[in-house]
Amino acid sequence: MIHHIVALGRGTLETVSALGRAVIFLVQAAWGVPSREGWHLWLRQMHFIGVMSLAIVLVSGLFIGMVLGLQGFTILVDFGAEDALGQMVALSLLRELAPVVAALLFAGRAGSALTAEIGLMKATEQLTSMEMIGVDPLRRIVAPRLWAGFVSMPLLTVGFSVVGIWGGYLVGVQWLGVFDGSYWSNMQSSVAFVDDILNGMLKSVVFGLVVTWIAVFQGYDLVPTSEGISRATTRTVVYSSLAVLGLDFVLTALMFGELG
Amino acid sequence: MFDNYRDVDERDVTDTTLVDVEGLHFSRGENEIFRGVDLRIPKGKITAVMGPSGTGKTTLLKLIGGQLVPDAGRVCIDGQDVHRLSRRALFRLRRRMGMLFQSGALFSDLNVFENVAFPLRVHTDLPEAMVRDIVLMKLQAVGLRGARNLSPAELSGGMARRVALARAVALDPELVLYDEPFVGQDPISMGVLVQLIKTVNQALGLTAVIVSHDIKETLSIADYVYIIADGQVMAHGTPQTLDVNRDARVKQFVHGEPDGPVPFHYPAPDFHRDILATGGGRP
Repeated sequence: MIHHIVALGRGTLETVSALGRAVIFLVQAAWGVPSREGWHLWLRQMHFIGVMSLAIVLVSGLFIGMVLGLQGFTILVDFGAEDALGQMVALSLLRELAPVVAALLFAGRAGSALTAEIGLMKATEQLTSMEMIGVDPLRRIVAPRLWAGFVSMPLLTVGFSVVGIWGGYLVGVQWLGVFDGSYWSNMQSSVAFVDDILNGMLKSVVFGLVVTWIAVFQGYDLVPTSEGISRATTRTVVYSSLAVLGLDFVLTALMFGELG
Repeated sequence: MFDNYRDVDERDVTDTTLVDVEGLHFSRGENEIFRGVDLRIPKGKITAVMGPSGTGKTTLLKLIGGQLVPDAGRVCIDGQDVHRLSRRALFRLRRRMGMLFQSGALFSDLNVFENVAFPLRVHTDLPEAMVRDIVLMKLQAVGLRGARNLSPAELSGGMARRVALARAVALDPELVLYDEPFVGQDPISMGVLVQLIKTVNQALGLTAVIVSHDIKETLSIADYVYIIADGQVMAHGTPQTLDVNRDARVKQFVHGEPDGPVPFHYPAPDFHRDILATGGGRP
């Protein structure tokens, strides 16, 4: 019994201390806003984190839009409401699916890569040697990655939504014969800029920050062994996914629920 | 036990100390690594810190470099207490130091040339032509000018260490910390490296701390030697005085004798009883 209490206490202390370290880490790293000389480092990370994630995000967006078109049509057609397909596809994507699925894909593709990269740098003493050269790795290594993730996530979400809406159009209009004009005009009349587009973007900004923060912190804080890197990479994907889904509920409740 | 060495160079050392380590205590979990270590690293000299594997020699370098914080005691470099400095001041101090890591620790996303140019690019505003000249001079010194376009993944362990040495001295630092510089070097590069460390030290007046257990090579270039064992300084003195030291542990270490007070085996039960015991298949 006493062992369980001790273990619980130790676990709580470790969790609180890790959270504390993560917050201090974020504050210190966030100071490394892309500066004159850091500009090219940030751009390079934008390429690795943002551009390289583009393919998986766009292809997934296309398929999800197509599935939405197909599922939406089969349900709506029973009520003779297939003209509302554009509205359904757009609202589902903009409010929920684009920010959430893009963030989950981002965690799997870019987040795990960030953790492994920084972790390997730590295991091979590259971070230590950088410190000994008198360069702060939080500014040189972590900050450009953090900012690149933060900026690319909303852009990837926009790409996801646009391609998804186009996927819904391909299936609904081109294949299943929904009227072209009603697909677009219903969408235009029902999608509100602030409520739907801006709220969705706000979600993606939050997810971008949280996923990148988890990924870089897990890489920086891991035990520098091959096992440590593998565990930290797994933790990044698991924690990021849970954080995205949990925060999505909270944000949705604040934006669209009674609380809002 | 080593009081007879304390008078050697003591006055000389105190006058020109660059690194002063006082009463250093450091533990990792339950494991006590240092129990009151005192060292003085004199300016412009090569000081070797030696000792059997696992005595915390690399840890000592990390404590000097401010990467680890001691439980008690202090490390002063040029009068500044390393562990009381702000993060910014510590990074400023580190610009005056170079460190050669055991693994080389080259940046994997930069090629050999860029690795050596890295400290110059981040800490100076030198024109590109001058950066190029300095990098090529440093690479020439370690015999790897022709390897400038290779990536770290294409280098052997020994070559990576030599590139790392070129990078460590790129800014001509006042203090260079060498962590096991001779491990894994072939005889030719070993000889070159030994000479190189000595030449660089003499030509530029650098202060060098070499952590190593390669006795012959280290003693051939060191001006002063500290031997660490059991978390304390076991002996210190010039290579000549240590060579004739009659303390059994010092003798065993300096002459590489297998039998002596320093155990070769990790603590274990009696060998015969262990072998004959039937553990039900368990190790």
